[in-house]
Amino acid sequence: MPDMAALAHPQQRQFNPYSENGGTILAIAGADFSVIAGDTRQSEGYSIQTRYAPKVFRLTDRAVLAVNGFAADGNMFVKKVKQRLEWYRHAHAKDMPLRAIARLIQTMLYARRFFPYYVYNILGGIEEDGTGAVYSFDPVGSYEREACRAAGAASSLVQPFLDNQIYFKNQRPAAGTSHPAHLPLPTVLSIVIDSFTSATERHIEVGDGLEMYVVLAKGRTLQGLEGIRGMQELTATEDGERVFIVRRDLKRD
Amino acid sequence: MFLTRSEYDRGVNTFSPEGRLFQVEYAIEAIKLGSTTVGIRTPEGVVLAVEKRVQSPLLESSSIEKIMEIDSHLGCAMSGLTADARTMIDHARVTAQNHAFTYDERIKVESATQAVCDLALRFGESVHDEDAMMSRPFGVALLIAGVDELGPQLYHTDPSGTFMRYDAKAIGSGSEAAQSELQDKWHKRMTLSEAQKLTLRVLKQVMEEKLDQHNVQLAQVTPQKGFEILDEVKLQEIIEDM
Repeated sequence: MPDMAALAHPQQRQFNPYSENGGTILAIAGADFSVIAGDTRQSEGYSIQTRYAPKVFRLTDRAVLAVNGFAADGNMFVKKVKQRLEWYRHAHAKDMPLRAIARLIQTMLYARRFFPYYVYNILGGIEEDGTGAVYSFDPVGSYEREACRAAGAASSLVQPFLDNQIYFKNQRPAAGTSHPAHLPLPTVLSIVIDSFTSATERHIEVGDGLEMYVVLAKGRTLQGLEGIRGMQELTATEDGERVFIVRRDLKRD
Repeated sequence: MFLTRSEYDRGVNTFSPEGRLFQVEYAIEAIKLGSTTVGIRTPEGVVLAVEKRVQSPLLESSSIEKIMEIDSHLGCAMSGLTADARTMIDHARVTAQNHAFTYDERIKVESATQAVCDLALRFGESVHDEDAMMSRPFGVALLIAGVDELGPQLYHTDPSGTFMRYDAKAIGSGSEAAQSELQDKWHKRMTLSEAQKLTLRVLKQVMEEKLDQHNVQLAQVTPQKGFEILDEVKLQEIIEDM
């Protein structure tokens, strides 16, 4: 005899294909450089799955992509973007320009409008005109060029800090002076490192390691990068933009 | 079953024992019946000019359209079966718009030309799950002019799907005489105005009728203004200047 009482009530089952893997990413554009950074912790709930899962990827010598949210979707998305960049190189005999990559990411994200990649993307690098640029995206492809952006678990902690330190929100310039439009590279690197050490203190999903990518415009000197601990060059081609990575430890608790 | 020698020109996809595709070769011959078309590349831009054969005094010469826009930075002149060119130009336009939509940039001249040539060899078979669209080679050659980050460029395509970049190129019925004239007169530092006059002078030599603003069409692609077809007033000025 079936349980008539249970059958009388509506039943619901569900399957959730997504999860949220924590971590934070951030990018800041300078006049002739761009810094893109992310922590390397990957977690689910209170468990750390790994202390080293990169969220920031070099796409070309002038474009770096940071991906945050559901790690499986993020890794697949980066894989597909890299595939499209290679096809473009074969079809058009050049590396895809940064603003073209930004538009491509929009079309790729919007193509999945009704089963989205559960990720926030931040694209940083150098434009065709040699200026530093940051593009930020929502999961379905809405995008915008900005001077800086934080995303991920600690974005609500980091973004207000950047608004204050980069956009000088709630700051009044000293009499007879004005706020600079772009900050120098050493200042930007300090702000990035401070952002992540602070986010590590206050957010349980942030920590373990920090990876900062620095993209320098064509012909720019290493000014501001010399003597930086743990720096490594990743540039693939000569006489163009240059890409560097700086790795730092973050607290593991 | 063996085909007799003369039957190798029946199938569009059958090589002859000498390794020739007759239908493609015949298509290339069809272009030599078309009206003369000339293109010249200069550092300031590319000029395209075509002869419009006005067969009857009752024909509206303005309805003969042999130069068309592909995108704001790309133009195209044709010779041969001009009806076939519509399919190719439609494909080029869609490709150019798709590129702008996906990449937020203008397609390169070579990439647009490549797209047209990809289509040229798709006769006699259906690609992927599309319907077979063409049962014979296109009977038209194109001069594709455009400006991109590599500067002004001129490409020539033929029914075999081959494309090549030229500084100056003539196609159509008067192409042999026109090409040797271009070879004599073209030089590296040519201005746009010089190129306009040279295209008309070359056409004038190979045309049976007396050249005027009604029986030629002139277009140019420049970095500043992109693709434009010159109107009869402007054309008349250039003709008077020749």
